[in-house]
Amino acid sequence: MRHRVETWGAWVRLDDPPALVALDRAGARALGIDLDRAPHDGPLEAHVAVTSQCGVGCEGCYLDARPDGAHVPRDVLEKTLDDLAARGVFTVAFGGGEPILRDDLGELAECARARGLTAVLTTSGIGMTKAKADSLRAFAQVNVSYDGEGDVYRAVRAFPGASAAERAMTLLRDAGVPFGVNVVLTKQSFPSLDATLARARELGAREAQLLRYKPAGRAAKLDYVDKRLSREQVAALGETLRELSCKLQPFGFRIRIDCAMVALLADALYDRADDLERLGVFGCEAGAKLAAVRADGRVAPCSFLEPSAQAAPHGTTAPCDTCALARVCRGGCKAVARFLVGHDAPDPECPRVVRAEAARGA
Amino acid sequence: MTDEEKLAEHVRVVREGHGANCSSIGSVIDTLFVAQVAAGAIFVAVAAALAKSESETETATKTESASETETEDP
Repeated sequence: MRHRVETWGAWVRLDDPPALVALDRAGARALGIDLDRAPHDGPLEAHVAVTSQCGVGCEGCYLDARPDGAHVPRDVLEKTLDDLAARGVFTVAFGGGEPILRDDLGELAECARARGLTAVLTTSGIGMTKAKADSLRAFAQVNVSYDGEGDVYRAVRAFPGASAAERAMTLLRDAGVPFGVNVVLTKQSFPSLDATLARARELGAREAQLLRYKPAGRAAKLDYVDKRLSREQVAALGETLRELSCKLQPFGFRIRIDCAMVALLADALYDRADDLERLGVFGCEAGAKLAAVRADGRVAPCSFLEPSAQAAPHGTTAPCDTCALARVCRGGCKAVARFLVGHDAPDPECPRVVRAEAARGA
Repeated sequence: MTDEEKLAEHVRVVREGHGANCSSIGSVIDTLFVAQVAAGAIFVAVAAALAKSESETETATKTESASETETEDP
């Protein structure tokens, strides 16, 4: 049972069921945890780019990965894993570029496990083979990017990769590798979300992580506003999630949202701050619970912010200062605010912020 | 009140599952929307699993100690 001491108690990693549990000091002591040890200061989760190479060219790639990118040397990655383990990180999520272009992913997962880290992986699935899938068994979970079937996928990523993602899911299922899907929610993919998750479940996925489209990397351009969820779709998000949750949870299929989505649910979850907090559903985690190690070794507060970016808390100005969700939402996504507003500001796509701005304009 | 329920009172946050996304942290959200699932029940289940893990760890430690004792004092 891996744990790390905090000033308020301890984080404990549970393997069955898989969970990270925060215990207060009395609870930690009850489990025999020595609270006299120095508290850790590292993030809970780190995202590590193992390559900057990717031949796919997704239109919205947040890292601008390219075909002529390079793999991070193995010894550099092992040093990174040493550092992360020493800082008390629990989970390391390997990404890229396209990580499965490397031949040593399984060994990297074993390296992470040997250091007490839980290793997970994100892939487009393009280039997945039976041998590759078999080599990924050391990962606690692999997520395949899958925004929808056929044309839906193409509308989000500007290339036809849905069938490759589906094939990868089949290979992972046959290899016995636990996997889920990452679904980027855009104006084009949102209407098909029900069908997308049904297809993923049919192929053996056990969960879906819904990701907000963010203006970073190649997506940081003017057509961002045409691709992001419409205000009507944001308004429908809460009810859509409720319906999908009720429909899929009985099958054991779980639904996650990323930290950037919390602000979009400000209306739907306005009176649920305590529940959100207890279930660890927080808004911006950049630089606090999360760190991102780029392929060039630079460390950023999250994958969507520049390594030089400060990650000071925001969400203390109007209308966040009177919002019941502010303590969990934390002002929403900084990457979106910095792109649309030019600096850290209340998330400009949060429905409460949209109404406040409209009222101010009026 | 059972031991698990007592320990559950000391649980502050539960982050379920393994997020496997490499670009942003994900959190399980469905529990919030499914009326039959109460956060309290999850906390008790987690506390039970923690207690079991702790008990297994303790057993392993005790076994090691016993074996050391046997080695030191045959």
